[in-house]
Amino acid sequence: MSEQSAALTPPPLVTGSVSVRQLDNAINGPLESFPTMRWWIAISVTGTLAAWFFYCFTYTALVGIGSWGNNNPVGWGWAITNFVFWIGIGHAGTLISAILFLLRQRWRTGIARFAEAMTIFAVICALQFPLIHTGRPWLAWYWLLPLPNANNIWVNFRSPLMWDVVAVSTYGLVSAMFWYTGLLPDLATARYRATNGLRKFVYGLLSLGWNGSNRSWSHYEKAYLLFAGLSTPLVLSVHSVVSFDFAVSVIPGWHTTIFPPYFVAGAIFSGFAMVATLIILLRKAFHLEHIITRDHLEAMNRIIIATSLMVGYAYLTEFFIAWYSGAAYERFTFINRATGPYAWAYWTMVSCNVLVPQLLWFKRIRRSPLLMYPIVILVNVGMWFERFVIVVSSLAGDYLPANWDYFRPTWIDIGLFVGSIGLFLTLVLLFCRFLPTVALAETKALLPGSQAGGGHHD
Amino acid sequence: MTQQDESLDVKADANRIASGLPSPDDQLAAIPVREERSWPPGEMGRRSAMKLMAASTLLAVGAPGCRRKPHRKIVSMVDPPEYQQPGIPVFYASTWNEGTVPYGVRVKSVDGRPIKIEGLPDHPVNRGASSAQMQASILSLYDPERLQGPRKGKQDVSWSQVDHEVIAALKAANRIVLVTRSLLGPSERAIVERLLKACPAASHFVYEPIHDGTRRTAWKSIYGRDGELQPQLDKARIILAIGSDFLGTDGPDLESTRRFATTRCLDGQGKAVEVLSRLYVVESAMTVTGSNADHRLPLRPSAMRGFALALVSAVKGEFGSLDRFAAEHHLDKRLLRAMAGDLASHKGKSVVLAGPHLPTAVHAAVALLNGEIGAMGKTLRWEPRPAALPVSRVAAIEQAIRDEGGADVVCWLGVNPAYDWPGGGLAELLKSVKFTIGYGQYHNETLDACTFALPDTHFLESWNDAIGPSGLSTLCQPVIAPLFKSRQQAESLLVWSKALAPEDKELADCKDWHDFVQGRWRRDLFAADSSWPGMWNAALRTGMVQAGDSKAGESVQLDLDAATRLAAWDDRSTQGDSATGDRLEVLIRPHYALADGRFASNAWLQEMPDPVSKLVWGGGVMVGPETADRLGISTDSLVRVNRSDDGPSVVLPVLVQPGVAAGVLVVTLGHGRTRAGDVGTGVGVNVAPLIGKQGDSSSAFVSVGVSVQVVPKGPPDRSSRLVRTQKTFSMMDRPIVLQGTASEYDENPAFVKTRKHVPPLEQIDAEYDYTQGPKWVMAIDQNACTGCSGCVIACQAENNISVVGKDQCARGREMHWMRIDRYEEGSSGNPTVYQQPMLCQQCDNAPCESVCPVNATSHSMEGLNEQVYNRCVGTRYCANNCPYKVRRFNFLDYRGEAMRDAVRQLVYNPQVTVRSRGVMEKCTFCIQRINAAKFHAKNAGEKIADGMVQPACAESCPAQAIVFGDLNDPDSEVSKMHASSLAYFVLEELNVRPNVAYLARVTNPHPEVTPHSESGHSVSSHSKGGHS
Repeated sequence: MSEQSAALTPPPLVTGSVSVRQLDNAINGPLESFPTMRWWIAISVTGTLAAWFFYCFTYTALVGIGSWGNNNPVGWGWAITNFVFWIGIGHAGTLISAILFLLRQRWRTGIARFAEAMTIFAVICALQFPLIHTGRPWLAWYWLLPLPNANNIWVNFRSPLMWDVVAVSTYGLVSAMFWYTGLLPDLATARYRATNGLRKFVYGLLSLGWNGSNRSWSHYEKAYLLFAGLSTPLVLSVHSVVSFDFAVSVIPGWHTTIFPPYFVAGAIFSGFAMVATLIILLRKAFHLEHIITRDHLEAMNRIIIATSLMVGYAYLTEFFIAWYSGAAYERFTFINRATGPYAWAYWTMVSCNVLVPQLLWFKRIRRSPLLMYPIVILVNVGMWFERFVIVVSSLAGDYLPANWDYFRPTWIDIGLFVGSIGLFLTLVLLFCRFLPTVALAETKALLPGSQAGGGHHD
Repeated sequence: MTQQDESLDVKADANRIASGLPSPDDQLAAIPVREERSWPPGEMGRRSAMKLMAASTLLAVGAPGCRRKPHRKIVSMVDPPEYQQPGIPVFYASTWNEGTVPYGVRVKSVDGRPIKIEGLPDHPVNRGASSAQMQASILSLYDPERLQGPRKGKQDVSWSQVDHEVIAALKAANRIVLVTRSLLGPSERAIVERLLKACPAASHFVYEPIHDGTRRTAWKSIYGRDGELQPQLDKARIILAIGSDFLGTDGPDLESTRRFATTRCLDGQGKAVEVLSRLYVVESAMTVTGSNADHRLPLRPSAMRGFALALVSAVKGEFGSLDRFAAEHHLDKRLLRAMAGDLASHKGKSVVLAGPHLPTAVHAAVALLNGEIGAMGKTLRWEPRPAALPVSRVAAIEQAIRDEGGADVVCWLGVNPAYDWPGGGLAELLKSVKFTIGYGQYHNETLDACTFALPDTHFLESWNDAIGPSGLSTLCQPVIAPLFKSRQQAESLLVWSKALAPEDKELADCKDWHDFVQGRWRRDLFAADSSWPGMWNAALRTGMVQAGDSKAGESVQLDLDAATRLAAWDDRSTQGDSATGDRLEVLIRPHYALADGRFASNAWLQEMPDPVSKLVWGGGVMVGPETADRLGISTDSLVRVNRSDDGPSVVLPVLVQPGVAAGVLVVTLGHGRTRAGDVGTGVGVNVAPLIGKQGDSSSAFVSVGVSVQVVPKGPPDRSSRLVRTQKTFSMMDRPIVLQGTASEYDENPAFVKTRKHVPPLEQIDAEYDYTQGPKWVMAIDQNACTGCSGCVIACQAENNISVVGKDQCARGREMHWMRIDRYEEGSSGNPTVYQQPMLCQQCDNAPCESVCPVNATSHSMEGLNEQVYNRCVGTRYCANNCPYKVRRFNFLDYRGEAMRDAVRQLVYNPQVTVRSRGVMEKCTFCIQRINAAKFHAKNAGEKIADGMVQPACAESCPAQAIVFGDLNDPDSEVSKMHASSLAYFVLEELNVRPNVAYLARVTNPHPEVTPHSESGHSVSSHSKGGHS
């Protein structure tokens, strides 16, 4: 009986005996010291990639979508693939900070801040693409918004792209506010610790006059809870709405009712993979192994394998429905995905998203940062290919065979994608230098002895 | 200095093109002066407004001074003619004579600027239809790459200097060789004769790179006189084409298409098996005609004679040789017997046509056949006055230039032998002559090598005439003054003749070429007519006049002996032992768009997808799949084709084209120009070295025993790269083009309904009531459409559709709003071909409309799917969601250069927006024409009558396959077609409610022969499309 209860007791979320001061030092230390050479090297690489992104962005704006590989049947190519990919990456953050918070999953604490930051950065990356992918971005940036105008032309609310504009901007704004709210007590800590006047001023400004009073805490807790409540439906809605871009169309391979849950599962899958990809590096680099523990990694891996199975199930369901519905065009589309000109992309997707994550059934792999690393990287790859397969292969072979063509990316396409990774990582690196990467105030609450009832928490 | 020399350099200052018409006494003279402004781009600020005001004051004062002086008096536009209103088009009748057959055209001119060429409705040959080449010639008019002034070597010279030197040279020469095209204009022929008379040292030769020399020769010896047999296909029930692409490149394709189409349309009267014609095609290449066949039989050119001879005896009732032939060539005996049986049992109602590339023996055998089946006078009409002059023998021209010390002066008038001389290698011959004159609209390979390169005028800048059928004479009149310092070739011949023969009173009376044409008409055509100049004015108005004695109905007698003798003649060079099938034969054909290369500078034609291969911007060698397997080559391989072991060779990319006969290599002339401006230079490969020199009876366009070597592929080469606008040719068992046989139709006229399953389609929201106004719809008769692709270019001309170039086509970004989809099913050796014009279906439940986030595309109250270019931000979601994929996106600034170039921009239709980069565009059913008709009807207080609005595609279609009109008018033709039992909608099962009805194809195969069981190995698992 006691053995059983011991097994049911969750492992400690912060290992070893850590004092509050040690924790402060561990988290705020990097903010207060001069960046290491490793950081400079890293940011010069990612910064170069980000610069390449903006070069390609400007090039596209000046020359046109013709600088990409898009053609007559394939109106959307890598840009939309990247958009969906980045929006998906963002999902882990909101899931961790909102849903897991509401479900009282305390283990989220160690990774929540980082995952939330990732959400913001991923949304920033994602938002680049819908704008640059329009033919006339100089008009699109405000014509797509429901602004009153002299032409008396309103936007078309029947268009899923319009829903996208609303869903993604809401998501971006709420995530940013949620994140910022969570940062407030930690920014105040940074302000208290700051010795330099400028730092004190900036962090003071950012902490909005936080004084650690009961009022501050109670407002903060309420606001945080409210944002968690607000964000929770967004986790489900954003990617559902993004999936409507496809599901609402008439194109076989797009026109599928399974898309909303399938996209959400995929988004969480890819989001967790991306969080794992980065947080493994982070905990190593900043020596946070005791705060972001193997238990955290294992918990994430469990979610990854669960969502992997969901995604795999969705793949099977698509095929089953394509066969069962008797819709000849749809049936062809799916057979064509697996055997046609894009079969290489399809099988990359299946291997990375369904086959490889099965290795996570092994506890040893699940708990080893080294062994799980290639798996989560491959999941990132696989999820990009999933979006590519959906977007491109469906368009490339739709109803009239006379239209069919093949999509070949150009170096601008590649630049925009690789560059967006650079942009993302640059933002992550800047984040690591200037803001606490772990939710300090929350973690303090998890320290042994900080809660009534000893080290136990439910 | 002549008057032309005073003209401004038009390229530099073409914003003010004064289109003064060099015109005489008649009323049609005046065309207003066009004042095009070049507006400063961007916002109009205070400073630019001041600048503009200052500039306009200057222009107003100074411009009349710098305007070109017309060389004849011109009616001042101060008092414009009443019909000339700004923005209102004026139509002029004229004749298009830049191809091999003259067609009547109606030129649409807005504010003195011709912008569109349409078929002349009353012209008996084309009856309002127009071909791609006719449509595209408007682009060449405004092409600044045309030769802009006379040149001597690299130097610009004046016309007076040209005349001075040329006349001196002509006077001094001992031997002069004039080489012209097969001049379509009788007046042109007359002036050449005058020059020959004035200049006894001169001899005249007719040169065409692609010609029907063997056929004309054969006919002459068989029928005893020069003339031409013209098929009357509308009277035929059984048509057998032996290598004849009569719907494409052989003869008056527009007329043949129209006549043929009338035999393929079901109007519900009578049984289909009795009404429809049956088309047998025996051919070596895959052609437009073959694509429309009921029974098609691939056969190598060298076997054609044996086939025709076997058929002659079979028609007479002896099947022995036909059976033997079938066995030798592994053909379906039953099909051949059926063919012979059909011909024999339809005496007077059948016709056999042979392609111009075949040797005289085949034409003789075909003449015997036609005699046997009673085609003469019934389905074949004898035309004693062919439109074109017969060609001279190439060897004779070479001889005249080279022999006895050589010619002193050679005039290459309108020909381009440096590019297309048979066997190539004219360069040395060209150089050997000291004084050469080259005449042409463009600076081409020949003009490059000539002493003088002289610019000819475009046909819209020229006076000319042509011969129509049955004694009809048609007139070609200028609708704009020459844009450049060009002078019509005939005008130059006139100037030179006058100088050489000052004593010729008649010439001296002609002030210019116009006077000569008019004089000749008055003398030759209106000699007995007292109503001159009324008749002349009538000809100017209608474009033609019936004058002189009509020799219609004249018949000729077949010389049986001569024909038998000729048919028996076995040409060893093309005959060979064909049955063994090991030897390779090469067949040279003209290009569907570029003809013999003369249109290679025309970007619209370069980008027109070949109706068969869908190749654009270049071509290659087409081989059947069987031959490709045998040679171990595939599409995009490079091969070297040698005409003979020591002869010239060319390296060509391979295209495996289903349907090409085994052992045959098909190449098209027209590509590989080395001097054809930015557009045509270096596109594709020139195959002229493979053309032979025509003998008495052997064909220049076929050679047997060529050798082929595979060339290792080097680095990617732009000129020989193959780019196709369509990649998949299988219908994938989808119900896209529906088809049935005549007997199926007779059993169940609504057989289409059984061909695909359309579930009950329901509407979520309320039905829109379209009955308040017109409801514009279209119907396309797939029985009439031959796939000629004329509509593609007509649409391009009407709607300012950009050309994107070879690289963009390779990226799949062609802009055509109208395209012809082609599907090939069945055996790859001899596929069944389905063709389908595809354009915006103007769906009432348009999937494109609901997904546009900015409302840039919406539905009109008249059922049109409208695209608002100004509002479009280019998300391309609409194009993605279009099941037909007919929306076209401006991926780059495709209008670019053309928009900025002062001359090029004149080609744009002022009634259609020129789309900018990043904007989606699509077919609008020519909404500008609908609106023009609506305004007209409203002003006139009438209703829009059926047929009053014609989109450009429907207007140009020679087969009248495209019909447009109001569905709310139950009597409109389109309503009747929509109600036809054959009507269906492509992808209607998606409930997008398309508005373009397609009439299912009804073929008429011989009841005893299943179609296409005859030959070829089946590699495709898709047996027959159109079943769900």
